[in-house]
Amino acid sequence: MGAGHDGLPEGPERIQLKFEFSPDDEAFRLEVREFLRASVPPDIAEEIRRWTMPTVASFRRWQAIVAKKGWGAPHWPVEWGGTGWSAIRKHLYMEELYRADAPDFFWQGLHMLAPVLIAFGSEQQKRRFLPRILTGEDCWCQGFSEPNAGSDLANLRTTAVRDQDEYVVNGQKIWTSDAAEADWGFFLVRTDSTVKPQRGLSFLMIKMDSPGITVRPIRSIDGRQEVTEVFLDNVRVPLEQLVGAAGEGWTYAKYLLEKERTASAFLYFNKRHLEKAKSIARQTSIDGVRLIDTPQFGEKLARVEADLFALEWSVLRILAQDSYRHDMNAVVSALKIRGSEMQQRVTELQVEALGPLSLRRYAHGDADIDSPETAAGKPPYTIGASSQFLFQRAATIYGGAREVQKNIIAKTAFRI
Amino acid sequence: MDFALSEEQVMLRDGAERYLTEHYSFDQRRKLLDRGGGFSESHWRQFADLGWLALALPEDCGGLGGSLVDVSLILEAMGKFLVVEPFATTTILCAHLIDACGDRRLRADLLAAIASGDMRLVLAHGEEGTRYDLAAVSTRARTSTGQFDSTGHELSGQFVLSGRKICVWDAPSAHQLIVSAAIEGGSGLALFIVERAAPGLTFHEYRLIDGTQCADVDLQSVPGTLLLAGPEAAHRLDEAADRMVLVRVAEALGIMEQVLDLTAEYLRNRSQFGQPLVRFQALQHRLAEMFVEVQEVRSVLYRGLAYIEAPEPARRAAVSAAKVVASSAGRIVGGQGIQLHGGVGMTDEYVVGHYFKRLLAIEKSFGDTDYHLKRLASTYRDSHDQN
Repeated sequence: MGAGHDGLPEGPERIQLKFEFSPDDEAFRLEVREFLRASVPPDIAEEIRRWTMPTVASFRRWQAIVAKKGWGAPHWPVEWGGTGWSAIRKHLYMEELYRADAPDFFWQGLHMLAPVLIAFGSEQQKRRFLPRILTGEDCWCQGFSEPNAGSDLANLRTTAVRDQDEYVVNGQKIWTSDAAEADWGFFLVRTDSTVKPQRGLSFLMIKMDSPGITVRPIRSIDGRQEVTEVFLDNVRVPLEQLVGAAGEGWTYAKYLLEKERTASAFLYFNKRHLEKAKSIARQTSIDGVRLIDTPQFGEKLARVEADLFALEWSVLRILAQDSYRHDMNAVVSALKIRGSEMQQRVTELQVEALGPLSLRRYAHGDADIDSPETAAGKPPYTIGASSQFLFQRAATIYGGAREVQKNIIAKTAFRI
Repeated sequence: MDFALSEEQVMLRDGAERYLTEHYSFDQRRKLLDRGGGFSESHWRQFADLGWLALALPEDCGGLGGSLVDVSLILEAMGKFLVVEPFATTTILCAHLIDACGDRRLRADLLAAIASGDMRLVLAHGEEGTRYDLAAVSTRARTSTGQFDSTGHELSGQFVLSGRKICVWDAPSAHQLIVSAAIEGGSGLALFIVERAAPGLTFHEYRLIDGTQCADVDLQSVPGTLLLAGPEAAHRLDEAADRMVLVRVAEALGIMEQVLDLTAEYLRNRSQFGQPLVRFQALQHRLAEMFVEVQEVRSVLYRGLAYIEAPEPARRAAVSAAKVVASSAGRIVGGQGIQLHGGVGMTDEYVVGHYFKRLLAIEKSFGDTDYHLKRLASTYRDSHDQN
């Protein structure tokens, strides 16, 4: 067909947009599912079921297990232990990971520092640090934000002054996750105060047990003490722990933040937590009717799920390299806005479904909640739901606050 | 997974934009609405010449066997130019119903006539009080020979229809109608072909806020030919409506992309308080919010297109989600489009208000937000935990 029709080509081959996963990829999914079913330690799965985030000790245990399987760092180059998976396979892996209540990667070392080291570090640094990150022996924390440098990161003031073959670091970092348990930290420090703020920054790796480091936990509104303040008082750092060139810290930090364009959607978290909300709503009844079958709650869920479908395909479009008529930075910022709002909405749904049961304070590490009777007769996920909901208020603040993302969209999509 | 358009799809899209840029300017469209009554026979002939009318139709009846993705590309372009002719109504909605007809001759004749541009059909289904319900029907069909069974399968196909249909989109320019009715003594709905000039048929024509044509239709013992009956009719109607929802979402997407560009351009050019409006952060953020909405509509449309052949309830969930997301986005993007234009946005001579009206018309056809939320929520019923 097609003869006589201007500009219209021959029949069936015309359909090129392919939206389905290939049979090979589906087989891969099943392989991952089977591995996780056999390998996730039940105590860690239970910890994640309740708290979403496992302890650092659990992370280390799990990382050793996946590293042994050869899946410890799928996104790294194969020569350093990567799997060589396509973007779609990495996506399927993450989906299965969350579905199995297995730990996500310990992000700071595996997804933040490692790509920077691989791109800009010396051979000696790569050989020294990457293998230990891969096996979970070293956990890392990230020291970027400061009391006066939150959204305005270029304003940071922690200084590193060269003293022969060492840097002497002084200053204060804040919102540093897991600093109390981390072995190492990567820090953005000012090595030159005579140039433009962005030009005077350097990227320094510091051992967390170095003399002069004090870590003070900050209790957040969800009851946890995951974030900390890190004080650096005349901390001496060997020169070989500088990544790349002095003064290039801003470039490396930007590289790190842009490397994972789809991570800010928190897609896998969001899908898993919507499922949790549905579970609660299936096992909660009002006057004999399951909450999920009531029009009010069903439609509340539907509204969120519709937006989550959209978010998921926004991620897939980026992974499969769809073409965009706007600047990619704007597309990624849009994803961050919708992803972070979704983190709030899916956890909020759980609180809505639990009703008054959501009000009891359960905090990670509280001794009295580990006894099985605490949750007896309650819907699933009663423990941990409201603390996760509270914690997610941070989602639209960290990693570039929502309002900053809107500035980025305006600037990059509309060239303002 | 591959989101890249084929060379042919790019040609299709660019060709549509080129043609519409030339023949469907805002002024040309205004004349069409004011003096042409909201339909142009010459546009329709050109749609046929361009191959658009044959695009979605099966190849054994003079069609091109194009996918719904292909059609969406055309609709996205039509959205930008606010095309009023009943392209989707005839070639997506009605053609999908006709395609399932067991009378091979009837099917072939009708589809070939659509492809060549000689036949426009519309669906007359809605009735007083049924709103968006696809199963509800009180119009009655009785066989003219008196011989029928409840499924209608054994019949010669000649019936007499009586009832009243409302909100028959695009009806005034149609040659034939597909009318839904319950066969007397049978159960469920059946679909019939009715000639526009059939005796006993009365049209009450009116225009919609977006300039398109519509009619309410009275049927008093109107002769009709059976098209589909039994479970197949209801099933096929559901499918056709879902396809229609998706291509309308594509159209809405085209509109929203255009509103976004127009609004950004306006904010750059308009100065108040001594500087271009675009320098104000409050307005920049509004633009950013509109941008986010449009991104999500495209994503959920692609998802819908990917699931259009999927088994239930996945198809239903995907289509309803697309409509929910597009409808809310349409209100936000269209509404802010007017707001950011200020008073100019309120004038009939400026295009942004027309986009808003078309978005509203799309929202209110084939299920609004409440309807589709309910439909998506219905997929949770009887669901159980998987793990």
